[in-house]
Amino acid sequence: MNATLPRFFWSEYRKRRKKSSLITFALFWGTLSILLLMAFGQGMTTQFRISFSGLGETLLMITGGQTSLGYQGLPKGRQIRLYPEDIDYLRERIPEILRILPESDTNLQVSAEGKEINRNVHGTTEEFAALRTQIPQPGGRFLDADDVVRGRKVAFLGWKAATDLFGAGPPVGKTIVINRIPFTVVGVLQQKLQDSMYNGPDADQVYLPTTSFATLDNRRYIGRIHIQPREASQSLMIEDRVRALLGRKYRFDPADRYALGVWNTIEDAKEGLAIFKGIEIFLGIIGALTLLIGAVGVTNLMYAVGKERTKEIGIKLAIGARRRVILQQFVLETAFIFAKGTFWGVVTAFNLVNLIRLIPVGFDSNGIEAYLLRPIFSAQIFVAYTAILGVLVFLSGIFPALRASRSNPIESLRYE
Amino acid sequence: MIELQGIRKVYRMGSQSLEALRGVSMRVERGEFISIMGPSGSGKSTLMNVIGCLDTPTSGEYVLDGDRVAGLSFDKLAAVRNRKLGFVFQNFNLLPYATAWENVELPMLFDGKTARKRRDRVIELLNAVGLYEWHGHRPSELSGGQQQRIALARALANDPPILLADEPTGNLDSKSGEEIMDILLRLWKEGRTIVMVTHNDHIAARSQRIVRLFDGIVVS
Repeated sequence: MNATLPRFFWSEYRKRRKKSSLITFALFWGTLSILLLMAFGQGMTTQFRISFSGLGETLLMITGGQTSLGYQGLPKGRQIRLYPEDIDYLRERIPEILRILPESDTNLQVSAEGKEINRNVHGTTEEFAALRTQIPQPGGRFLDADDVVRGRKVAFLGWKAATDLFGAGPPVGKTIVINRIPFTVVGVLQQKLQDSMYNGPDADQVYLPTTSFATLDNRRYIGRIHIQPREASQSLMIEDRVRALLGRKYRFDPADRYALGVWNTIEDAKEGLAIFKGIEIFLGIIGALTLLIGAVGVTNLMYAVGKERTKEIGIKLAIGARRRVILQQFVLETAFIFAKGTFWGVVTAFNLVNLIRLIPVGFDSNGIEAYLLRPIFSAQIFVAYTAILGVLVFLSGIFPALRASRSNPIESLRYE
Repeated sequence: MIELQGIRKVYRMGSQSLEALRGVSMRVERGEFISIMGPSGSGKSTLMNVIGCLDTPTSGEYVLDGDRVAGLSFDKLAAVRNRKLGFVFQNFNLLPYATAWENVELPMLFDGKTARKRRDRVIELLNAVGLYEWHGHRPSELSGGQQQRIALARALANDPPILLADEPTGNLDSKSGEEIMDILLRLWKEGRTIVMVTHNDHIAARSQRIVRLFDGIVVS
């Protein structure tokens, strides 16, 4: 290319930029809309994953129930309870289990520094932290194996329970009293999103070692058994094995769906994720269609601009412009308009996403804002979008350019 | 300089065909100033377009400055238009968004001339047509006569040996028309070959020779 031509193209573009401003704006708006659409879609899916993991990942929760079928001469309506020894019984017989632990809870009065609150107090083991995403705030810890073995009088508090008892002050090291027994607070739960729960959000709970909990609650049976499979795909098989093994032990029909309560969060998560993935795909399809409509619009505008410039092209051809000069000018203008519109669209989308993410979302809120106000600006989506749009805009620009460069100078000169 | 032999130009519109030129043969010698005259539809503009390499004949031979034009590619014809021919149109055909300076500079840009050469030549040409002070103005800010003088300066940008003028005074008042004719005559006297299409007998009378067309053939 003649070195002076790009400068000439630039000077011509600057003179005509008002005419191309509509195309630039269309590209800007299209880019902004699609990137925001995808950012919200991805944000919602990610938020769902995070809030679901607030309960715990790959988890099976087993509770006792009431039989609904007669079995081996025994009547229906029998109460089935779970006992601490069931933990080892299941662990030994189902090698696919990675973690298994008991949890019991009861509503008790908890007091500290003159304040009294009623809260669910739980007894569990140290493995509960990993299984149920109990991450302590800095300066504290969850219950450990020693606490369980030695029956230490220690407690781990949900962050709201801690605030209710101690206000803004640091609770770690302080004492809470439950049933006139003092417990030392060893840690407070870090704030987290949680969309699935039993007996309320973890923020409100009080956790003690099983051994200490037994001093407050004299029931021999346990509230529930948590199981984490080695592989998420094994959850249904483990569920069947648990029903079969406990059915044999407590003599109920393994097919009796009411003898045990089983909450398979893995299957729930699959459903939830499928819904959000569906929404993401739906938004992606809307994005793709918008992109297509946008590309048709840009093609139309480029065509109209090319048509409008027919006479100008005729003049240039008449005074000696070669075809490639006309082609180069159109292609470079298209590339520049694309780059300008897309650049501002990307910059605006990026800043809007970051601005929206600054809006605080309470961790105790599981409302729509927790999902909507955390869009994610994904580099992969940006690259894919720019590449697809670039190809579409290039194609929409190259055809009017080819048409312009191949036009008959006489016909172009006559065009009004 | 310009030699046409049996030039025919047939336009096809669906099943219809129109023979605009029916075997035109003529010669224009170097340094000659000729006028092409004829009634509307006689083929004057078509002949001018063929001579100006803006259109290709359906058949016949066209030799320009010793080179056969028939069969040249689009870009080779563009190069011929750029270097050997200068065009002046009835409706000026200036780029509306470009200044007088930029319009005059354009053919030199397409020829790849350096910035310095372009600058010197634009100044020289704008001075020659008496419009240097108007160099920053756009065509819409100039009178018809001024626009045609800018168009003339543009036609001379690459110093072509041949100037083609299609009704150059057709859209101008008599005074401006006279000014354009004076410039054309001056350019002819300086040695340039000029082919002009006109309806005006008075204007045509100032050329050396008149070629008359009727129904696509040269009648005198």
